[in-house]
Amino acid sequence: MKTIITIVRKEFQQILRDKGMLRMIVAVPIIQLFIFAYAVTTDLKNVKLAYVDHDRTSESRQLVDAFFTSGYFTSVGMAENQTKLMSWLMEGKADITLNIPIGYAEGIVRGNVSDVGLIVDGQNSSLSGRGRGYAEAIIRTEAAKLMENKRLEHPELETKMHRIVPVTRYYYNPELESKKYMVPAIVVLLISIISGMLTGMAVVKEKEVGTLEQLMVTPITPMQFIAGKTIPFIFIAFFELAFASLIAIFFFKIPFEGSVLLMIAAAILYLQVTLGAGLLASTVSQIQQQAMFTVWFFLLFGILMSGFFYPVENMPKWIYMLTYLNPVRHFMEIMRGIFLKGVTFSDIIPQFALLFGLGTLIFGTAVIKFRKMND
Amino acid sequence: MTLNHSHSSNLAVVAKDLTRCFGNFTAVDNLQLEVSRGEIFGFLGANGAGKTTAIRMFCGLLKPTSGEAWVDGLPISRDSEKIKRRIGYMSQRFSLYDDLLIEENANFFGGVYGLSKKEIELRIAEQFERLGLTKQKRTLTSELPLGFKQRLALACAMMHRPRLLFLDEPTGGVDPIARREFWDLIYETAEDGATVFVTTHYMDEAEYCSRVSIMKDGKIVALGVPAELKRKHGTQTMEDLFLKLVGVSGESGESVE
Ligand SMILES: Nc1ncnc2c1ncn2[C@@H]1O[C@H](COP(=O)(O)OP(=O)(O)OP(=O)(O)O)[C@@H](O)[C@H]1O
Ligand SMILES: [Mg+2]
Repeated sequence: MKTIITIVRKEFQQILRDKGMLRMIVAVPIIQLFIFAYAVTTDLKNVKLAYVDHDRTSESRQLVDAFFTSGYFTSVGMAENQTKLMSWLMEGKADITLNIPIGYAEGIVRGNVSDVGLIVDGQNSSLSGRGRGYAEAIIRTEAAKLMENKRLEHPELETKMHRIVPVTRYYYNPELESKKYMVPAIVVLLISIISGMLTGMAVVKEKEVGTLEQLMVTPITPMQFIAGKTIPFIFIAFFELAFASLIAIFFFKIPFEGSVLLMIAAAILYLQVTLGAGLLASTVSQIQQQAMFTVWFFLLFGILMSGFFYPVENMPKWIYMLTYLNPVRHFMEIMRGIFLKGVTFSDIIPQFALLFGLGTLIFGTAVIKFRKMND
Repeated sequence: MTLNHSHSSNLAVVAKDLTRCFGNFTAVDNLQLEVSRGEIFGFLGANGAGKTTAIRMFCGLLKPTSGEAWVDGLPISRDSEKIKRRIGYMSQRFSLYDDLLIEENANFFGGVYGLSKKEIELRIAEQFERLGLTKQKRTLTSELPLGFKQRLALACAMMHRPRLLFLDEPTGGVDPIARREFWDLIYETAEDGATVFVTTHYMDEAEYCSRVSIMKDGKIVALGVPAELKRKHGTQTMEDLFLKLVGVSGESGESVE
């Protein structure tokens, strides 16, 4: 124990002396929160939408209106048929096209919303990807609204309708305010980067400058070394979590509906993942940059597959199944749930369980690999 | 020469058939060695002879491919954890924390060896005084000249009062005066009863050792008291002896007398 404290103290002395590291801990979160939060909201303001409405009912007109009042889509105009829509898409006049088929309104009653045709220009992937996510969410939100109305009008249909109410992905974010949706995700991104990268770099630094060899002729055990190297970054990650959350709540006015304790518990499980990743990266890297890029590579992968940009449900089925193995996804869901939905522990037991399992696996592997390396 | 455990426990360092290969290449080849307690043992050899590899095995940083060695009476194959508490090691490459104050470095190594806060303070005070580091206590390690860095490395390696010191080229790259001063410290340490196992490329330093071995291609080609070795091989200086046995020149080091 005393040995671990000695290492932790040394680690803090080094961190506090490292201006670059301090900048990374304090300034990076602020910059990233602002850049991301604003980039995301402005980016999505002007997705060009063209549509064709074969249904011509008040319900279909309501759907079209919902698109243009959302603030994310601007109208390119109404086309007379699908061919025209496609040519607009090809010419780049439109980013997304919407085809409302005959029988849309009736289909809604039967819970059949997937008939609405969305085609997205795949060339601008970030814009169209998120545009598609939002478009789908609008369609589902509208459908849910309509169905709710129908149910109120025809209470006798209650039991039958109940089964077919579509699951709305953006349920907890009904106004589709991307900021609300993104800021908690950016908090996740931040503590991943800080804890994963800095741990990896701090361990490899010892290898790089030769101090690891010096430590290995002392009575320090590998477990003491790992504890001493990771504990400071647990503190820093929590500092980061508190700092970024406060900016989110007080500056971005993101609601915080859930429990702080639950968030801390989830973060502890998640830190096993990021610290483990940092440690793993350090076992395969000889210099700090290498460790940094290795962590970044896996983190990027985890973030892309986490629902950070658009819902994992939109991904191809097999990728969607793979995302269950992605700890970033589970933590992202927990954090968004805690911030926006006020979830309680019983709502997120599966995510907690998976996060715990994956975290233990990753950290355990890292420890084993680290001990092997020093043999 | 037969070695057994009880015999080896009276000696500071014993190597028996100690061998280490890297792939097909044999860096240390059937090394046989006995170093008594209280000696200043000079472990000489040209670049790549296998000195560092041998020392790393003694210190538990590297596992032998075959053979065995005893350090302070303990077999390296089984007791490397116990050995670590009894030895001090200064690696060939400066390997303390550049971004700590020199006092913080010493504090850290004291803590790592399990000394109490009081002991650490005491030890820092007496060692820094002896090594002439007191004035620079609050200096950032990276700002120290190399000669002082080497003294700090020695101080850190000796925080826990080890009975045996492995110094791998402790004076590489500094001027003759700084080397001379460092050797004075080595003498003092030996007078206090510690065994010093030291490698060097400077043949003037070899003359200061109580005994030396000269290594070539992983094998020891000469072993003994410097004066006797010179007589036996009919050379005037260690420099000439080294040239004769190894075929390349050691560094004379423009010794200052
Ligand atoms: N980890 C390793 N992998 C492969 N070869 C190695 C390794 N470590 C050392 N060697 C090789 O073993 C040989 C002996 O190296 P060693 O460092 O022990 O020599 P040395 O006597 O200390 O030399 P110097 O005086 O230059 O420090 C060298 O040829 C070196 O290239
Ligand atoms: Mg060497």
